[in-house]
Amino acid sequence: MAAVKAALIGALATTVSLVACDDLKNFGGPVPAYATVNLEVTGDATLLPADADLRVAMVWGGQWLVEALCILPPENADAAAVLAVGCRDPFGFVPARTDANIAADVGVPAAMPLISLPSADLLVGDITARVGYASLIAYDDRDHNGTLSLARPNRVPGPGPGGGGGSGDLPVEKKDIVYGASFISMTQPDQRIAYREGAFSPVAAFYPRAGCEGPPLGFSMLAAGGFTAQAAIDATLAGTLPQEDPATCDQSPLSATTIQITLHDPANVAISELGCAERTSDSSVRFINPDPTQPAPDFSERLTACVHLPSFGAPSDTVELIVGGRPEDACVGISHYVLKGCRNSPDCGTPEWDHSENPPTWWPCGP
Amino acid sequence: MRRFALAILLVPAIAGADPGRLLDDHTFDTEPGGPFAGDLAFVAAKPTSLPTGLSTGLAVGFTRRCGCLFSYGARIGWSRVAEDSQSWVVTQDDFRLRITGAIRHDAGRGSIALRLGAGPTLVREVRDLQQGMRDPNSDTPQQQRALRAVPAGELELVVSLKIAGTWLIDASGGPTLAVDDGVHGGWITQMGVAWQP
Repeated sequence: MAAVKAALIGALATTVSLVACDDLKNFGGPVPAYATVNLEVTGDATLLPADADLRVAMVWGGQWLVEALCILPPENADAAAVLAVGCRDPFGFVPARTDANIAADVGVPAAMPLISLPSADLLVGDITARVGYASLIAYDDRDHNGTLSLARPNRVPGPGPGGGGGSGDLPVEKKDIVYGASFISMTQPDQRIAYREGAFSPVAAFYPRAGCEGPPLGFSMLAAGGFTAQAAIDATLAGTLPQEDPATCDQSPLSATTIQITLHDPANVAISELGCAERTSDSSVRFINPDPTQPAPDFSERLTACVHLPSFGAPSDTVELIVGGRPEDACVGISHYVLKGCRNSPDCGTPEWDHSENPPTWWPCGP
Repeated sequence: MRRFALAILLVPAIAGADPGRLLDDHTFDTEPGGPFAGDLAFVAAKPTSLPTGLSTGLAVGFTRRCGCLFSYGARIGWSRVAEDSQSWVVTQDDFRLRITGAIRHDAGRGSIALRLGAGPTLVREVRDLQQGMRDPNSDTPQQQRALRAVPAGELELVVSLKIAGTWLIDASGGPTLAVDDGVHGGWITQMGVAWQP
């Protein structure tokens, strides 16, 4: 009887061991890719330093509107100089977050697996129809952290909460050097990665490509020839979107195409700005309090100009001091000072500061 | 107001109308009980395989007292843990099948025992790809399943206290051991009720 029991127990144990012999992975093991991007970095390899750590990052684009000062004619020569060094391309690709990264070599095809979907804050639209666009950015990973380190404009630090240093923990120093991207600006031919959920609105003005087919569901590659800045202005005045040339449009599965990234001179501002994020998406400006009780701000290496507040209607009477960035800053940007106003607007009902009767000694713009 | 005062005065009278007593001197009397006992317990334990999280569930056990010192029996337990990483939501069910033996000492209403359990733990793992349900292209595998039997055991200190009649409360806890690509240590606690007719 004991032998029978032992045999039964042994048989049961053997059966359990044979049936339940899978490997437990816990959090480990390979993650299946939602899609794979085929890419190739092309162009003049001599643009890269000898010790370059060339990588390609997929970077999701963010919503951003350039501030009004940058798209209106400059008021004077000083202002033109500040705007020239302080405004980024209003049609350029603006990074929001870096996603996948791979090492790359010039002229060697590579495959980038996409193992995560873009989070909701990177998609534009509601839950029934939303889309996100990404650019493949080739960069020299100077800080060797394996990912493209984004930077932010270096605005003049100011006193108190009205200071222009800005929020966010992105550095103002250049960490990595950008050499090219598949999607640089809407005014240039581009190849972009799209991710769509639900329906698609053809009138959405989020990196628009009117005249081309909408992106298919999920990940895909889109291409367009770009439009001119004048076409964009004309279309905006007419209440429409600038049209792409349909002959330049393309949309295909990621597996069916190889996205080309051409190397450029990294000193080109349109290229270097691809590594710069912006803190606001609505063209709003943060103003700095020129507190007379504080030491004068350090404007060395910065260009300054006195201008009236930009207006699309009647000219404003309020004069502001605009200050550009320093040549060594990673990103372009403009700092704004007004004698009277609030952090978000000089026209707030109850000013947070008012030095119009007693401006600081260093104030160059008059009362 | 008068009716309310009358009602207040009548409440003790109504309560006092029941001649029986809810609690008396014999309410918590206990019975010595026979050699067999069964118990049902809540379980909280370190997961058998997953390196993080708290696995919680239920366990049932059967014990036979053999003499005044030794007990033996069997237990079956289930507990579950769900944790997530950047890529996965991992759920693991631990099914513990144990043969137990214990050294016991009775003292009044209570007893204390050192219980050694050994047997396989079946670990059922389900891994869901993070946000995978959002993927409009359904050809991406979004779930992985696995089942593995792991030799395991635990050494627990068991405290039992007779409450009333044939009912007891049990609490136990101690270290665990599982062997799967190396030896994995852990812990387990259980608390529940037992019936010893």
